[in-house]
Amino acid sequence: MTDEPETVRRKVWDVPTRLFHWALVGTVLTGLYLGEFRSFSTIQLHFYFGYATGGLLVFRLLWGLFGPAHARLGKLFPSPGALVSYLGSLFERRASGVAGHNPVGALSVLAMLTALSVQVVTGLCSEDDGLFSEGPLVEYLDSSTVLTMTAIHHWSSRVVMGLILLHLAAILFYRLWKREDLATAMMTGWKTVRRDEDDRQA
Amino acid sequence: MRIRTLTLIAALSTALPAIAMADALEDAVEARQGYYQVVKHNAGMLFGMAKGDVAYDAATASAHAQNLSALSKLDTGSMWPQGSDKASLPGKTRALPVIWETFPAIMDKQADFVKASETLAANAGNGFDALRADIGALGASCKGCHDTYRAKDF
Repeated sequence: MTDEPETVRRKVWDVPTRLFHWALVGTVLTGLYLGEFRSFSTIQLHFYFGYATGGLLVFRLLWGLFGPAHARLGKLFPSPGALVSYLGSLFERRASGVAGHNPVGALSVLAMLTALSVQVVTGLCSEDDGLFSEGPLVEYLDSSTVLTMTAIHHWSSRVVMGLILLHLAAILFYRLWKREDLATAMMTGWKTVRRDEDDRQA
Repeated sequence: MRIRTLTLIAALSTALPAIAMADALEDAVEARQGYYQVVKHNAGMLFGMAKGDVAYDAATASAHAQNLSALSKLDTGSMWPQGSDKASLPGKTRALPVIWETFPAIMDKQADFVKASETLAANAGNGFDALRADIGALGASCKGCHDTYRAKDF
């Protein structure tokens, strides 16, 4: 198979990025659960997981500014050319061999981080018809703003759930169709990448 | 002059019943919003005590729980006329049309409210722990209705 591009094993995800990813999985899933099934005795926990998610997002922002190449925020904004070119080969039955975020994956990460930021900020400004508790910023806002924030918090939780399902579907698609294991790379940090890709990153 | 007056009377006689009906719907909306303000006031005092935001006081807790129990048994049927939903009166109410579409399913939620507030009326005066033990069911009964039948905004 001479037309198969040569591949190498490379460390693409640094430890802080991986810890961030898996901590985020934990805080977001728990936060969604506690929000969906909130009760008088557990609403405070929902708040704590929301704050933790907010803290992780702030860390990711800083890491995106000062961290290593593949974690940089600039990587989350693919050029239209790169996006179109990647989309053209997306359904080909071979591994992409991209070292960091591929252009489509970058957009999905961008969407996830944006939706989670919306979720955290609106959560600080949300209330629950006076039932269980209210976000710490509610007392500084007028009631119609709080209602709008609460409605956005509610609907963007659906957006987050949708993005999680899309994320899982994409990982399955890469695993089964393109035979590329993205999940293990996010656990170990090591990924099989194309050598030309590797050279370009170097 | 006379023709103009007649036209005016004709126009008014067509429009007035419609205006009166819209008024009646909005009156009903205002009435139930007032009712829920009173519910919220009493439940809020109990939630505040159970959370520790307000110092527990047996007599106060008992009084608010008994108010809630009485409120839960109020027949509010006339405050929910057809056409007084969010779709018909946007900006005025958060009551979703599904209330009327699935009626009387909502009455099960009403029964939960009656039951939770009756329990509280019996126990809320028996100490902080008793209040805390039963407050969860009250919150759950409120949430049960709000999740399904109340929009998040106007």
